[in-house]
Amino acid sequence: MPDGVAIRAQDLQKQFRAVSAVRGVSFEVRAGEIFSLLGPNGAGKSTTIAMLSCLLPPTQGDASVCGHSIRQSPQRVKACLGVVPQDIALYLDLSARENLEFWGKMYGLRGTALRQRVAEVLEIIGLTERQKDTVGTFSGGMKRRVNIGAALLHRPDVIIMDEPTVGIDPQSRRHILDNVKELNRQGMTILYTTHYMEEAQELSHQIAIMDQGKVIACGTHAELIRLVGERTRLDLTLDAEVDALVAYWRSMAGVHSLSADHGRLTLLVDDSNLVLPRLFETASPFGVRITSVTIEEPNLEAVFLHLTGKALRDEP
Amino acid sequence: MKTLTIAAKDLTHIFQSVFSLVMMFGAPLMITGLLSFAFGGRASGTGTFNLPVTHVQVVNLDQPDGAAPGVAAGKLLVDVLQGPSLAAVLAVTLVSDEASARRAVDAQQAGVAIIIPPDFTAAATSPDRRAAVVIYRDPTLTIGPGIVEDLVSHVMDGFSGAKIAGQVTADGLSAAGAAADQALKDTIARAYTAWLQSHAHGAEGAAVPRLAVVAPTGAAQPQSQGAARIGPIMAGMLVFFVFFMGGNGAESIIREAEQGTLARLSSTPTPLAAILGGKFLGVVVSLCIQVAVLLLASRLLFGIPWGQAATVMLVSLGLMVASAGFGIMLMSLITSSRQTGPVLGGVMTLTGMLGGLFTTAIPTIPASFDRVALLTPQGWALQGWKLALSGAGVGETLVPVAVLLVMGLAFLAVGVVLLRRRFA
Repeated sequence: MPDGVAIRAQDLQKQFRAVSAVRGVSFEVRAGEIFSLLGPNGAGKSTTIAMLSCLLPPTQGDASVCGHSIRQSPQRVKACLGVVPQDIALYLDLSARENLEFWGKMYGLRGTALRQRVAEVLEIIGLTERQKDTVGTFSGGMKRRVNIGAALLHRPDVIIMDEPTVGIDPQSRRHILDNVKELNRQGMTILYTTHYMEEAQELSHQIAIMDQGKVIACGTHAELIRLVGERTRLDLTLDAEVDALVAYWRSMAGVHSLSADHGRLTLLVDDSNLVLPRLFETASPFGVRITSVTIEEPNLEAVFLHLTGKALRDEP
Repeated sequence: MKTLTIAAKDLTHIFQSVFSLVMMFGAPLMITGLLSFAFGGRASGTGTFNLPVTHVQVVNLDQPDGAAPGVAAGKLLVDVLQGPSLAAVLAVTLVSDEASARRAVDAQQAGVAIIIPPDFTAAATSPDRRAAVVIYRDPTLTIGPGIVEDLVSHVMDGFSGAKIAGQVTADGLSAAGAAADQALKDTIARAYTAWLQSHAHGAEGAAVPRLAVVAPTGAAQPQSQGAARIGPIMAGMLVFFVFFMGGNGAESIIREAEQGTLARLSSTPTPLAAILGGKFLGVVVSLCIQVAVLLLASRLLFGIPWGQAATVMLVSLGLMVASAGFGIMLMSLITSSRQTGPVLGGVMTLTGMLGGLFTTAIPTIPASFDRVALLTPQGWALQGWKLALSGAGVGETLVPVAVLLVMGLAFLAVGVVLLRRRFA
């Protein structure tokens, strides 16, 4: 891989008629890294990786994968890339083995090499025992595992995973996250998109936070946390949301930022020991009761809140 | 190689689907069987066919008088109707009164009632007398009562001949100057009637066949009446369901787009041309199997002689290319699989009707309809099969096959351009 960079995106843009889905995204993924694109739904993550996978042509900008331009050499990019789509993209009336054999052939594998690799991948995804069962009979988590396995068959240098843990049980989620780490240990570069902060935090060497089609911050976990300093995050639930109280708290000393959503408030504060008692004191005169409090040390959620003024869970 | 893999995967999907199997093989054979049954039944394969038995009730009120000893015109008529050569088509029952015979016809227990009047013999043997035989028939029946009427007319003509013979003889005698009184005329008429009566039973009393039911024989290629009738019906169903499956097979492009597998295929190093080529190949191979199975099954089940092997292969090729191309073009125009059922059913039924696929059993179609049919690929396909069924050689089917190939490739080109624009 030239200069040790697996993926280099340069000012990628995608316009769908009047909608700008991606607005000048640039980042670099070094070979052997797990790189996460973190952001809420609609942030532009899937459109970005669709362009990197050569499924959508960029309106502007370019990117290289394994040194090949997505504009100039899409077939070469596809050959070194394994793509795990967000939705299950498998033939439900075929068995797990038949699916893997089919996708292996699409990556150019044949004969003994194909059979051996299918057996290895079945082992990796933990479905050797169920290989002859039709995928339509599998649970959501098992389908997700086959969905990932189909992208591993040709031993790609780079794997792109688009929210591979959406809508599955905790056990399958754990299995997938462990698989991702294992694949990375074997030397694969992984571009991982998610809107789950904990996943990005656990897996990633580098994280790019996206919002409204742009990368708003990029760096290691530690680097991103430093953006919010030592601020603590408070999640409050109120029995009623009073605009005047929210406005008062927003201007209160020690409160760095505040987002409110139907009685659920998220605040970034300098010192929770000082701020919290004052929140209780000032709520009563407004006739509002605080019904629950959660205190969290600085994390990516806080970073997102700090950078956008809204919580990661908020809809765009 | 990837094209073959995609085609093989699509074929697996098609042949695992119960719906596809029913529409490919079950429906065309079943509908052909039902239509052929409705329009005249299938052939026995022996060159003959059977008429339904007509029940006839005869009320013989005839009372022969002593003036014509040995002559009983009413009995003569009954004997003719009860003759052994008619036993397969007429079941004659003698009843005593006219009212019950009419009631039997009204209740559709009998197809015809014949009432022979009391003075029938007298009228039959006397030149100056008249008597009417009443035929009371079920108006919903045609063939059986028609046969009865013809037979009665035949016997009545014989009696008329007897009277005419008596009159001619008398006139000849008068012209020769000999006197011919009424008694002589009656004697001549009775003698003629007696001859007629003996003739009805044959020279040695053996029955003379009155009705022979035989099937027409073909000139160029001997085939049964039923097979000749059912051949075009099966051809119509073959063309309709092959076109339907062409569209249904091509629907996999839309389905894969919705399931995300088309995008995933596009994310592999597989060119779009190879993906669409695989889809087209899958459809053509499935249609090839469908056509082969339907031709063979209809040959075995209905005895349809499809014609010369080379002609059949050529027409099959034209049909498969046209239906696959038409199906892919149709699918390139729709945006979701929810539209597939209505669009596929509607377009295939409409073009099938215009192409004359559902009216092959009706012999009196206006010529203008045949011209309209040729606006559709189905019409050309049907024409190709009709030519094949008539025993035409390759040369005679070149025009419809060439039109089918050109149409099919044009449809395919339009479909591929639209699909590339959508999925590239």
